[in-house]
Amino acid sequence: MAKIIIDNQELECREGMPVLRAALEAGWDIPHYCYHPGLSVAASCRLCLMEMKMPHPKTREMDWAPKLFPACQTPVRDGLEVRFNSDVVKTAQESCMEFFLLNHPLDCPVCDQAGECCLQDYSYKFGRAESRMVDPKVVNPKKDIGPHTLLYTDRCVTCTRCVRFTREIAGTGELCLVQRGSKNEIDVFPGRPLDNPMQGNVVDICPVGCLLDKDFLFKRRVWELTGTSSICPGCATGCSIRVDHADNRVYRLKPRYNPKVNDWWMCDEGRFGFKYTQDNARIIKPMLRRGREETSPSWREIPDIVRFRFQDHVRASSADKVVAVLSPFMATEEAWLLIRFIREVAPEAALAMGPVPVEGEPQAFPCAPPGAPSMPDVKFTILEEKCPNRRGIEQLLEVSGGTVLTFEAFSEQAAKGDFTAAWIVGGYPKPWVEKDTAKLGSKFGLLVVQDLFENKLTEAAAIVLPACAWVERDGSFVNAKGLAQPFERAISPPDGAMRDGQYLFEIAGFEGLYSGQRVRELMAEATASLTEVYEAPPIPAHAH
Amino acid sequence: MSWKAIDRNQAVVDADAPPLLSEGVREKILSYTHRYETKRAALLPALHLVQNTLGHVSWQAMVEIAALLDIQPSDVFDTLTFYTHFWTHPKGEKVITVCRSLSCEVLGGAAVLDALKARLGIEEHGTSSDGQYSLVTEECLAGCDHAPCMLINEKLHKNVKLDDLERILADGDNDRVDMPRSDLFDAPPVAESKQPASATEDDSRTTDD
Repeated sequence: MAKIIIDNQELECREGMPVLRAALEAGWDIPHYCYHPGLSVAASCRLCLMEMKMPHPKTREMDWAPKLFPACQTPVRDGLEVRFNSDVVKTAQESCMEFFLLNHPLDCPVCDQAGECCLQDYSYKFGRAESRMVDPKVVNPKKDIGPHTLLYTDRCVTCTRCVRFTREIAGTGELCLVQRGSKNEIDVFPGRPLDNPMQGNVVDICPVGCLLDKDFLFKRRVWELTGTSSICPGCATGCSIRVDHADNRVYRLKPRYNPKVNDWWMCDEGRFGFKYTQDNARIIKPMLRRGREETSPSWREIPDIVRFRFQDHVRASSADKVVAVLSPFMATEEAWLLIRFIREVAPEAALAMGPVPVEGEPQAFPCAPPGAPSMPDVKFTILEEKCPNRRGIEQLLEVSGGTVLTFEAFSEQAAKGDFTAAWIVGGYPKPWVEKDTAKLGSKFGLLVVQDLFENKLTEAAAIVLPACAWVERDGSFVNAKGLAQPFERAISPPDGAMRDGQYLFEIAGFEGLYSGQRVRELMAEATASLTEVYEAPPIPAHAH
Repeated sequence: MSWKAIDRNQAVVDADAPPLLSEGVREKILSYTHRYETKRAALLPALHLVQNTLGHVSWQAMVEIAALLDIQPSDVFDTLTFYTHFWTHPKGEKVITVCRSLSCEVLGGAAVLDALKARLGIEEHGTSSDGQYSLVTEECLAGCDHAPCMLINEKLHKNVKLDDLERILADGDNDRVDMPRSDLFDAPPVAESKQPASATEDDSRTTDD
């Protein structure tokens, strides 16, 4: 650890890290555009300039050096003394801001970035109120640089964060900086658009409104959005994300810094993968089927109905003919409640793991250039396992004991008629009921299906319970590396539906409101190992 | 979309087009790569070579250079556009560069530029109809003590007078530079010349032992 002095305050930080990062983490709000902790240092924006003490060339006494130094490029070393609060630094910041705003179109009222824009914030905090520019502003054309992204060149401050991202993190290098001086522009090679599985991140790291997401374009002002901490369910990597929502509707997903999983990034598949939650075809009401008669009971009746039906069934046949199939899309807490209920009404009941969706191969980033072997330093991985909680469910099944089956074994035994009652949990965003699975629907005397969308199984079920999307639930997911991470509820389920956790809580015999934390406390009595969750440390808003 | 945007999804290079760079040019570009630690470092000499051979570096040439040096076409585009020396569209046989900086301006540079425009019938960045001359301006040609001056290709013409223009343009050798090229320009690849040297070193060591 090194001791440095910033603005007369002593600070302890790791030797070698940029002074800017040390200052940002310690709470200093230092303006910066080009510096991003996940990328290489460019030191091109000149906004984080600071004064530094150096030995005087003649007297060797430490004194403030006459020139300014970029804080992002100066590494921390013991005894370093710098200051940001001097008039020289403030004048430099003011001049830089004036320069950045020379050609700025000031179209904040129609700009998507307004409200989370560093040009706005810095202009307010460090800039001057009016421009002295008398010449007409340079107007650049907008560019459609890819299927998901638009480039508004005249809002650009050429910080090159996006260029460095495509070169260093994605490894695809589509973006480049063309021309020089006042003609500098971000561009792509025509016909080679920005189209890689990580490209959405360039919109996140753009400190101004230059790079915009076509999906979110003109949808909502950002100050109307509420951000909720969540975990991406797109694959088993389990990236930390922020769900931005308003009026009970999800508008966008943004990555959240998590040093153990995704750093600052997330993939496009996860980013745009929330659309199914807004699908009108979702099941939103519980349904009871007796012969051809279909009724929709109220949620208040559901716990008793489910419990009585299972108890009746166990009395009529036997407890070992009952099976629960858990989905890798369930939160660990929900699965625990379901197991608790099933094992209570039928202690010998079998438990099975639902099908685990696998697509393609894992993709590691940065991707290697054509012909080269894979890159040694992997910064991000998109896994082939497209579900968030296989590990969590497996751990639960392990500690639950009794008969535990794979999905194949369950299908085989169910096809033979070994089970007469089943509770099958779906919750998959994509159709998951294969032909063989669809045939199982008729094999059970009592079938409870909990799912998002209608399928062959819900058609055959005696009781259908609507499943909710992860943004409507809370609990925890265990990622492929075994890291359990909590996610919070962002929006309410559609009218008529109830959170899975809540009805499972009631069916399992508990009273009151379900919350992931509460169930984890209950779980801790039985299996403490499963209840430790990791929450990524928050980073200050000014350290963007 | 309701606003005008340049569509960068449209390809400008025909993927099925026959290769633009000849086998000799390709070999020469690859021979440059041995001089440097990384292949991409050979980009600038490659751009010079292609421009000298083809007159300009077209989109297709950029793609082909990128493939040779294992980099993205965007990297070539990035580097190329940084230097005003490189042309992305065809230029005339000779490029006239007129200085627009202070010394030349006060000593009649603007008049030289206007005279050239009138004589060749073109504007800045244009090429005369006979394909002989292209005309551009540059900030400073480092010839302030001989202002006004202009370049024809790499030849600097000093103290240009309006009366002299006709004579300069008519002279077929007006771009001849009597200056030797760097030895490196046509040097053989380092890797080839290095190997025998290291072999002799090894030999001497064994005899010492």
